[in-house]
Amino acid sequence: MSGFADWLERIRSIVFRGRDERELAEELQFHTDMDVEQFQRAGLDPAEARRRSALVLGGVERVKEDVRDARGTRLFHDVGRDFGFALRTLAHSPGFATVAILTLGIGIGGTTAVFSAVDAVLLQPLPYQQPGELARLYMADSANPTVRQYVTPVHFVDYRRDMTAFENMAALYTYAETGGDIGSGDDVRRIRVLPVSAGYFEVVRVQPRLGRGLQPDEENGELLIVVSDRLWREQFDGNRAAIGQSLTMSGRPYTVIGVMPPGFNDPLAGDVDAWVPLDLAAARDVDNAQNHYLSVIARLRRDAPLARAQAELNRLSSTLAARYPDANDALARLDPLKEDVVGSADRALQIMLGAVGLVLVLVCVNIANLLLVRGSDRARELALRSALGAERPRLVRQTLIESLTLALAGGVVGIVIAKLAMSAIVALGASSIPRLSELALEPRLLLFSLVLASLSAIGFGLAPAFRAARTDPGDVLREQTRSSTTSGSQMRVREWLVVSQVALAIVLLVGAGLLIVSLRNIRSVDLGVNPAGVLTFEVHLPAARYDSTARAQFYEESARRLAAIPNVTAAGGVSRLPATGNYHVWGTRAMTGRLANTREGAAQAQQRVVSGDYFAAVGLSLIEGRLFDAHDNAAAPIRVVIGRRTADMLFPGMRAVGQQLRAGGRTAEIIGVVADVALDARGEVVPYVYHAHRQFAGNRNWALTQVVRPNGSPEALQGEARRVLATLDPQLVLYKPALLGDVIGRSEAQRVFTLQVLGAFAGVALALAALGLFGVLSYGVRLRSREFGIRMALGADRRRIRRMVLREGLTVTTIGTVIGLVGAVVLSRLLASMVFGISALDPRVLLGAAAFMTLVAAVAAYLPAYRATAAEPRSVLQ
Amino acid sequence: MAGEPGELLQGTLEMMVLKTLSLEPLHGWGIAQRIQQMSKDVFLVSQGSLYPALIRMKRRGWLTTSWRVTVNGRRARYYELTAAGRKQLGVEQESWQRASAAVNWVMGARLVPEGGQ
Repeated sequence: MSGFADWLERIRSIVFRGRDERELAEELQFHTDMDVEQFQRAGLDPAEARRRSALVLGGVERVKEDVRDARGTRLFHDVGRDFGFALRTLAHSPGFATVAILTLGIGIGGTTAVFSAVDAVLLQPLPYQQPGELARLYMADSANPTVRQYVTPVHFVDYRRDMTAFENMAALYTYAETGGDIGSGDDVRRIRVLPVSAGYFEVVRVQPRLGRGLQPDEENGELLIVVSDRLWREQFDGNRAAIGQSLTMSGRPYTVIGVMPPGFNDPLAGDVDAWVPLDLAAARDVDNAQNHYLSVIARLRRDAPLARAQAELNRLSSTLAARYPDANDALARLDPLKEDVVGSADRALQIMLGAVGLVLVLVCVNIANLLLVRGSDRARELALRSALGAERPRLVRQTLIESLTLALAGGVVGIVIAKLAMSAIVALGASSIPRLSELALEPRLLLFSLVLASLSAIGFGLAPAFRAARTDPGDVLREQTRSSTTSGSQMRVREWLVVSQVALAIVLLVGAGLLIVSLRNIRSVDLGVNPAGVLTFEVHLPAARYDSTARAQFYEESARRLAAIPNVTAAGGVSRLPATGNYHVWGTRAMTGRLANTREGAAQAQQRVVSGDYFAAVGLSLIEGRLFDAHDNAAAPIRVVIGRRTADMLFPGMRAVGQQLRAGGRTAEIIGVVADVALDARGEVVPYVYHAHRQFAGNRNWALTQVVRPNGSPEALQGEARRVLATLDPQLVLYKPALLGDVIGRSEAQRVFTLQVLGAFAGVALALAALGLFGVLSYGVRLRSREFGIRMALGADRRRIRRMVLREGLTVTTIGTVIGLVGAVVLSRLLASMVFGISALDPRVLLGAAAFMTLVAAVAAYLPAYRATAAEPRSVLQ
Repeated sequence: MAGEPGELLQGTLEMMVLKTLSLEPLHGWGIAQRIQQMSKDVFLVSQGSLYPALIRMKRRGWLTTSWRVTVNGRRARYYELTAAGRKQLGVEQESWQRASAAVNWVMGARLVPEGGQ
């Protein structure tokens, strides 16, 4: 016989099973009818004819079974029937089925979602060729070698010329002020533009799909533009003739020279719409050797490992330190770009990964527990069926199929949960974790969790079936009728499963508890500003229509008009909002006073350019001297206001007002000292230097963020601000409006995000542990109901029996809690960078978690304990 | 499983079905009837053995099936021999003849006294 034809026929009969079955039934019916007809012709009455023919046939179902056997599809058919049977059995115990399927779903869905996030962010953060060769270059100075600084244009050019370990390097100007306005009239829109040096596209190894990249001789701010695929489709309808055409941005005509492939993204800046040549003219001014504002990425030569490049960089740094004595002793350091991009998100995701791993284990344990309970419940049923002659492989297969049905249903629920969880993860974390917005359901990972959960379901589901197949059914049946206490070993396994659940839940509870306390601590930190109700938004002035004088005038005028809105108490502008991290960190030196021109008299200070009534708008109070006024204009001597910390560092023990300092290549007189502002939400206090925009507008096109403080609720303020802006210049965009409180909170988003995820997992873990405990105790109580009945009949106190069950539950809980606390202490190192203002071993949190767990356990144990004594002894004994 | 009057070996049933179908295409009931008639009511072919055998033979490529209308106007599945089936009939017929002849020789043998000549 031909093997191939045979298999083809089998497959055909599986595919067309329905038709085959119908045809078989028709064929057999025909056969029977013909028999009946024949018997009737032979003189039998119809009823007798039918009886005789049935006798000959010997059971239609039996024949059909044999035919299926011959078709080679019997197994398939039986499996189908077993599935039906499994569905019916599960439908008979909806409680068990719901809990099992939901548990599996949570495990599969949660794990898949979190693994997908980790995969997208941690494992494949750089979608470029040979991402391992990419490095980020920072500068540092020997006073603060751990503080990573941006690179000065002067140093960048020298590095690029002299470094041999780099195949190529590129400078990016990632500051937010580099956006551009496109469109006209009411349709003006702000896009993200990234000025880059030549070599950028070579470093990331992605070339424009149309046109070309940038040439070294174009690093002069020439009006050339490479557009993203999205912008190309939007502005040029995806027309290939776009190359060479003009695109007006911020009032200036740019020539399109390239179109990037779809999906290309900048590794540092994220959603960039266009790339323009960086103006490296600043590199020719040695004053700029203190001006750290470029982000630098490099591609290492294949034969040059990071350590060798770093060694070469160190040698070069000492040369450069001698070349630019005015600059701080410019050290440089290389970080793998992946580390740089992933950064602190690394820790958040690792914690999530750990949490989800724990939950997955919990889920498997819970499933094991559920199935063990069910297995012992069904031991009698299986024994009975075995005694009645059911083949044992058949019993095993059926149990297997029941477990598979559960796993499959759990998988379907899991996919739904994964989808939901992923949109939640994206919504919660996109602003704080890079690349999270690109999250997609990863089929490999879904498969992984599905297989894992199925294996646990199948493994623990099969155990009772194998046991049933091994043991003498008679034993089981006798044991059950005797209603003795259950076999000790099995009970002990289940108790240990609950112990492990409690332990895992404790670990997650401690983690969530630490983060809750950390968040509360961090929110109560005094940042030095009062963000209540303060509205912020950016206004970017196109350089084509606004020269430095016009810009200086505009920002003062806008502050004045915004402050004139009814109910607004103060308005101003700033180059970077307070407490939102590093921005323009420049070397700053005392030029007068005791520390003049000494190393002690120098600091890396945050530079801010302010307009209008900025200090009042954010709630910064003046400590001594005065604030800027209209006299501090471009014609006046250069003046700065400094933070108290700056005064303490550069002019310790003296009056800072009237002293002089040098920053950003300018020497300035200090006219006032204001209160300190935190660098970020953690409350770290750092030196600040404030420049008046009127005096500094010529330096660059500072895109000042407007800050408007209302007297009361901020509602309707945004509309008012938009109207004010329109009266000044109808073509300007009110960009990124937000409340100051939210903007400051954003740097906390990662912690909040981790807490939310961890909290959710801790809740699930707690619920699972409580469920497990409840299950074990209820089951124990049910098995011992006879024993309890006897005890009560003999006069035992009900309360004592209740206490006994409760004590049993609490013993299991206590063992689990102790193990969990030890685990939490061991794992606390993981959380160390996430906690704030509290030790990762804080006893209050540890005890709180233990107390909470015990409380939940007591509730879970009470119902079974109550049930143990609820029944009348007589009814139990009968 | 064969009817009571005669125990049938599986291989034998298949051979007889092949023979029956080599005369003309028939439906299942017709095959059973024909075998009963031809065997002079010695072999009663039950549905339980006939239909699985037909399926097996179809899987081996010896038969094809088609739905046709009987003389009484009823729909029935007809079985027809393929070229492979015809060849198989030849093979089986030959081996049957050899086997039955051999069985006959064995059953017809008489004890020849030792040394007797």
